[in-house]
Amino acid sequence: MRKYLEVTLGVLTAIGGFVDIGDLVANAEVGARFRWNLAWVVVVGVVGIVLFAEMSGRVATLTERGTFDLVRERLGPRFALGNLLASFFVTFLTLVAEVAGIALALELATSVNHLLLLPTCGVLVWIVIWKVKFDSMERVFGLLGLALVVFAVAAWRLGPDWSAVLHQATHPGVPDGEGTPTYWYYAIALFGAAMTPYEVFFFSSGAVEEGWDRTDLMVNRANVLVGFPLGGALSLAIMTCAAVVFAPRGITVDHLSQVALPVAATLGRLGLVVVLIGFFAATFGAALETGLSSGYTVAQYFGWPWGKRYRPVDAARFHAVILVAILLAVAVGLTTVDPIKVTEYSIVFSAVALPLTYFPILVVANDPQYMGDRVNSRLTNALASVYLVVIVVAATAAIPLMIATKAGM
Amino acid sequence: MDRPKPPTGREVDACLELLDRQLVDSGGDQAGKVDDLELTELEDGSFVVTAILSGPGALGPRLGGRLGMAVAALFERLHPDTDADPARIPFGSVKDLGSHITLSRSRDHLDVNRMEHWVRDRVIARIPGAGDAPE
Repeated sequence: MRKYLEVTLGVLTAIGGFVDIGDLVANAEVGARFRWNLAWVVVVGVVGIVLFAEMSGRVATLTERGTFDLVRERLGPRFALGNLLASFFVTFLTLVAEVAGIALALELATSVNHLLLLPTCGVLVWIVIWKVKFDSMERVFGLLGLALVVFAVAAWRLGPDWSAVLHQATHPGVPDGEGTPTYWYYAIALFGAAMTPYEVFFFSSGAVEEGWDRTDLMVNRANVLVGFPLGGALSLAIMTCAAVVFAPRGITVDHLSQVALPVAATLGRLGLVVVLIGFFAATFGAALETGLSSGYTVAQYFGWPWGKRYRPVDAARFHAVILVAILLAVAVGLTTVDPIKVTEYSIVFSAVALPLTYFPILVVANDPQYMGDRVNSRLTNALASVYLVVIVVAATAAIPLMIATKAGM
Repeated sequence: MDRPKPPTGREVDACLELLDRQLVDSGGDQAGKVDDLELTELEDGSFVVTAILSGPGALGPRLGGRLGMAVAALFERLHPDTDADPARIPFGSVKDLGSHITLSRSRDHLDVNRMEHWVRDRVIARIPGAGDAPE
């Protein structure tokens, strides 16, 4: 049993990337508007994050250096500071969205207005970060998040014509009524969500928190190979449910409650209960991931002690950063800002952070002083270089496309 | 100041293998970054690294520009001494160079942890449970 639990770090990391509050809605929205015409982007995103998360985890496993430590070390203080500001802002905006997302998930279950629940949600996230051991936290929320597998069950029960689905997914095009810029805007949004930088910050730091060493390189590999494809599969399942239920009826998706509808319609009350548990676990898990990542990035840039393996008094500045981030996130959330819009805009800032994060990882993963004989294989380097080009192109195109399409209107 | 003898140890690329690396103390805990280096000129005109400079007082000037000046000014303003120098770790305290820089001293005896201690004593230690290991 213990063996199977060792992959929960990868699962929790992937949940924050693929099915956090913004992506839950975005996946359903894409399914409703584009059916399976954008499914290929999820696959491309999964391969990309598997590549770079494996590298960042391998470096952390062999050297105990978290990803932002490498960013600072390879880019120097000025460029790394630029990346820190952009990454911190993305992570913070996502934290705002996730804390509000937990409240939205609880609102669906209790009918209590989410703004009333929001401060309590913030406090709960902070208590878990303050008190709960890293591996217990990762196991509870990683496993609970698996409740979202109910979307796959619902998709199977809905029974679309699978050969037609496969045909559309492998022969994608822009559907009637949608513009080409809008299509590409959503493609970049899905790709950016899959490769969002806080996933590698969290995953590499988690490897250090877990105390992985040389003997755990297989565990690292198992985590990325189980976690991220699973996250991608959940994302595709949500897309499929929306494509079957909403697309033929011309319904667009912009609220969390709509995302749950196809499951409730096919699996009834029990299905709905399981979905709500999944929403709660996924948003809470993503809030933990982004809350901790805000501390990891700042502490690793400045070289401060960091991590939940220390008592809070022994990593004071790290915990202070997280505390302030959560307080601010609750304050911003209370301004009634729409959490789904917030995550959409955060993509713009990840555009700056993505290349500046993944490039140093690739460089260090090839440095024998760090890696010994565990440097990247040629195949990994070739693939990673292609992805860096794709990342740079996507990053450059993100902002113009966002303006041109009014954020996918 | 006595000019040190020419070094007998190994030669390293200071920019690549020292600057911006993580400092780890004798107990294996993080103790800041190598934010800058103190160089001393030898009799023959070459330079050796005599100390690691760490913390905002050293980082500010390296950042450069208006932001760097602001960081350095803030450091001087907050520092208890009127004429504050950046925190200095003599190079003799360096035990090992690798993917991080290992020191032979505990971080509690380093000047770089002034801010950490302030945040600990004034903020974090006052929150219940701060001294307990997570469960």
